Amino acid sequence: MSQAVENIQPSYPLFRNDEYKANLKNKQDNYEERHPADKIQETFLWSTTKEYQDLNFAREALTVNPAKACQPLGAVLCSLGFKNTLPYVHGSQGCVAYFRTYFNRHFKEPISCVSDSMTEDAAVFGGQKNMFDGLENAKAMYKPDMIAVSTTCMAEVIGDDLNAFINNTKKEGHIPQEYPVPFAHTPSFVGSHTTGWDNMFEGIARYFTLNHMEGKEVGSNGKLNIVPGFETYLGNFRVIKRMMSDMGVDLTLLSDPTEVLDTPADGKFRMYSGGTTMEEVKDAPNAYDTLLLQPWQLEKTKKFVQNTWKHEVAKINIPMGLEWTDEFLMKVAEITGKAIPESLLLERGRYVDMLTDSHAWLHGKKFGLYGDADFVLGMTKFLLEVGAEPIHILCNHANKRWKKEVEKLLASSPYGANSEVHIGKDLWHFRSLMFTNKPDFMIGNSYGKFIQRDTLHKGKEFEVPLIRIGFPIFDRHHMHRDTTLGYEGAMYMLRTLTNAVLERLDEETRGMGTTDYNYDLVR
Amino acid sequence: MPNVMIRRKPDGKLQFYVAKQDMEETVATIEKDTAEEWGGAIELTDGSKWYIDPISPPPVFPTTLRFKRG
Amino acid sequence: MTNLTKEETQALIAEVLEIYPEKAKKDRAKHLTVNDQSVEQSKKCITSNRKSLPGVMTIRGCAYAGSKGVVWGPIKDMIHISHGPVGCGQYSRAGRRNYYVGTTGINTFGTMNFTSDFQEKDIVFGGDKKLAKLIGEIETLFPLAKGISVQSECPIGLIGDDIEAVSKKASKELNKPVVPVRCEGFRGVSQSLGHHIANDAVRDWVLSNRDGDNSFQTTPYDVSIIGDYNIGGDAWSSRTLLEEMGLRVVAQWSGDGTLAEMELTPKVKLNLLHCYRSMNYISRHMEEKYGIPWVEYNFFGPTKIAESLRKIASYFDDTIKAGAERVIERYKAEYEAVIAKYKPRLQGKRVMLYIGGLRPRHVIGAYEDLGMEVVGTGYEFAHNDDYDRTIKEMGNATLIYDDVTGYEFEEFVKKIKPDLIGSGIKEKYIFQKMGIPFRQMHSWDYSGPYHGYDGFAIFARDMDMTLNNPCWGKMKAPWIKDEAAPAIAAAA
Repeated sequence: MSQAVENIQPSYPLFRNDEYKANLKNKQDNYEERHPADKIQETFLWSTTKEYQDLNFAREALTVNPAKACQPLGAVLCSLGFKNTLPYVHGSQGCVAYFRTYFNRHFKEPISCVSDSMTEDAAVFGGQKNMFDGLENAKAMYKPDMIAVSTTCMAEVIGDDLNAFINNTKKEGHIPQEYPVPFAHTPSFVGSHTTGWDNMFEGIARYFTLNHMEGKEVGSNGKLNIVPGFETYLGNFRVIKRMMSDMGVDLTLLSDPTEVLDTPADGKFRMYSGGTTMEEVKDAPNAYDTLLLQPWQLEKTKKFVQNTWKHEVAKINIPMGLEWTDEFLMKVAEITGKAIPESLLLERGRYVDMLTDSHAWLHGKKFGLYGDADFVLGMTKFLLEVGAEPIHILCNHANKRWKKEVEKLLASSPYGANSEVHIGKDLWHFRSLMFTNKPDFMIGNSYGKFIQRDTLHKGKEFEVPLIRIGFPIFDRHHMHRDTTLGYEGAMYMLRTLTNAVLERLDEETRGMGTTDYNYDLVR
Repeated sequence: MPNVMIRRKPDGKLQFYVAKQDMEETVATIEKDTAEEWGGAIELTDGSKWYIDPISPPPVFPTTLRFKRG
Repeated sequence: MTNLTKEETQALIAEVLEIYPEKAKKDRAKHLTVNDQSVEQSKKCITSNRKSLPGVMTIRGCAYAGSKGVVWGPIKDMIHISHGPVGCGQYSRAGRRNYYVGTTGINTFGTMNFTSDFQEKDIVFGGDKKLAKLIGEIETLFPLAKGISVQSECPIGLIGDDIEAVSKKASKELNKPVVPVRCEGFRGVSQSLGHHIANDAVRDWVLSNRDGDNSFQTTPYDVSIIGDYNIGGDAWSSRTLLEEMGLRVVAQWSGDGTLAEMELTPKVKLNLLHCYRSMNYISRHMEEKYGIPWVEYNFFGPTKIAESLRKIASYFDDTIKAGAERVIERYKAEYEAVIAKYKPRLQGKRVMLYIGGLRPRHVIGAYEDLGMEVVGTGYEFAHNDDYDRTIKEMGNATLIYDDVTGYEFEEFVKKIKPDLIGSGIKEKYIFQKMGIPFRQMHSWDYSGPYHGYDGFAIFARDMDMTLNNPCWGKMKAPWIKDEAAPAIAAAA
């Protein structure tokens, strides 16, 4: 094969030309000892059956294509939301390379985070020496105002004690006594990335407030605290800030990475930008209350805030969709005494208007849905509100209480009558469901694209298209900028889902002289 | 007493490779290198000296042998 | 912009080191050097393959990444279990672009993530039972898998699990290779030990499986491609050239590779080694055990490709030698046209690299074919033998950095002001924000292949499209006055 200089082709379509095809076929036929094509196809078809699904769901030990990640990933995201803060992970260095890469690919932004590079000797003697040097080096080189420490499973398995290590680092003079180093143990064999966010936040809150509660008085600063939890939509931080500002509520967003994850390209690299300040954290117990946007993922935070800050932590649901946004705003109004302004009423009305415009395309459409606990719960609520049916609802890391809660929600709507909720299941389970009880679409992160490919391989009529809402999204650009919370988020989701339905309908009705009677200009 | 892999390089010279040390050196001189025996004191191009009891008949390269610091 | 002198480069290193605490400064100084082609041995000027300092923001990964992510992961018809907690397998899933063809989930498994998803009870009571059980579940659900590898994550080596015993037993029961790999992330100082451990696992559990089985019809022209991970199809645009010159590529290690190919490799006549760093171990082993010679080659850019084709051909008879000339001749018009089009657009542009494996030295020739110059290079996880091979490729007074830290790299770039940087995803967005054209040189930035003549055309196109894209000129708003900040390099 020769490339033509005026039409240089990358891997696709390059490898589809005859010379390459013949070469690769020759490789398969002569050296790979590939199973016969009919055997492969037969096995594939078997993998789409109910029989296979039963075997698949009988798995007890094996996880295939999980829909979760591990704790320190969440701890890093949480830390990034604080001003001039360097996330520091105590343990093996490869983990940090992975966390940075994972976020780089999702946000298309630099992610600053250090490791203290523990190796075999640290496995034997513990990682205290690594921490001495690590904190000293990181502080000297990257000049953060605070270093937030979490752990990898290596440090957890050998039982390193962060509190003692950090105190010793200070005692030995590697960093000043007063230098803030909040920490959290984040074992990756417990919970998931959302647990890690929760633990890290609790660690930061504990560090700055636990022993400084004297003189703190609930409501004395006239502010409201909001804790986002593991949140990757920049628009969600922004919409919460905007709604609070519209209401005239003085907000403390506890962990706000919107600036550091969205710095401009103007010739300068900013390692730090924006974020919640230490003063804000210290002052947080003086607020009226603390609202948790993702309460199912913030249980440790809730306990701490209730016990130490003496906040009520008013019960809310993730403000996704219409009703839960209504409830969220009413709760904020109730706590702060501020009225919900005309502007938000108008915005609500606009969303309802969109709903009336688009409902016919979403009504009765079936969705398969996977992701983090609160997101999935909120998306379920949203789908029920628009008259769609979330028939498969899957959360890899959620617990039984969560499952009951989702089932309660489903029972409250006729559109939830055909739904099933799965916890502790992965995306290979989900794949089976896409074949045996096909929805119209699935909603989830980029990993779903492989399931779409598999369903298409069975035949066009079996294809389940993926609508990308969730984390991570690696294969589409800039979607993390969008919004899923509040009325604004509902608008985005409504538009995304409606247009996915219309795109699909166009795709199916484009057949010249066959289906194109329904290939309408006006929909 | 590292394990050393001795191999012949394309230019005909012997290469002295110690995996654990990422050491890839060329053999400069060998005390005994005849049809009957091979070994003794060996000096590498980096100046380091090594020793192995002479082997008879000479080994076929590539092969792995244990050397002492000379 | 002219280049720095030796003294200026030395001064730059000294300046950058200023920030470090004393102990760290002393250590880092050994990893930074000014290239001097007259130095025979790199160990005299640079230290490598040492522990990264804590807290400095190394760009390195771990042994698991080297084994599961690099060496084993691409073997497409085996299932590779990320054994331990859920994260490692998730972060390394399908991100490396090791292309392959197959029915994923049925007879190939490259983009999937199989994990034992360790919970606290597995740490406390050990994970061997779970491992044994999940191997059985794999056999039930994925019956066409040719074998299994167990890629250890950190906890495995710390809790005293005996994955070797479980693997041996399972292998006997399934009558398929089940390979335990002790690539816990805390072992060694970087990915590199993971490569070595993975090579050793292949040696101990796979390579000799067909000793004594002569049913495979060999020819005098059988070779294997070792150390090509088929990023964006690299091995495919390489194997076609080799087969065109009359060779038979029996095996690819490990991009688009299979268990059968690995097992057949001891029957080839010559091993062609592209990524020396990650697979020299197994090549040396085959040389010693099976008498198969190996030869390093470089398929980046027409100069090095032609050199390599001739070098490879020199191990064979005249038909292959003639074949090499025929191949070079056939592609001459193609690469000359590529150079004619792109060289004028890229001539004189200065490049800084920081990558892994073989590329910090191997891609220099391809840049030079386009009239570009590499003014700084470095490796994440090289050893001295890599730097030995690099000194000759780099110009005098250029900068060489080993296991560079985030801080150092940023400072070097600020002073040297290259026209293009080739490095990884963790570096990409830092430098793009600084207004410097950037290409990912691990993943080919979602493009590729870059190997072979067809790959070179894509390489040239990509460097041009990034370097000459209008976006780089838009960093400053028109109403903002330019600060007068001449580069040090400009003064030289």
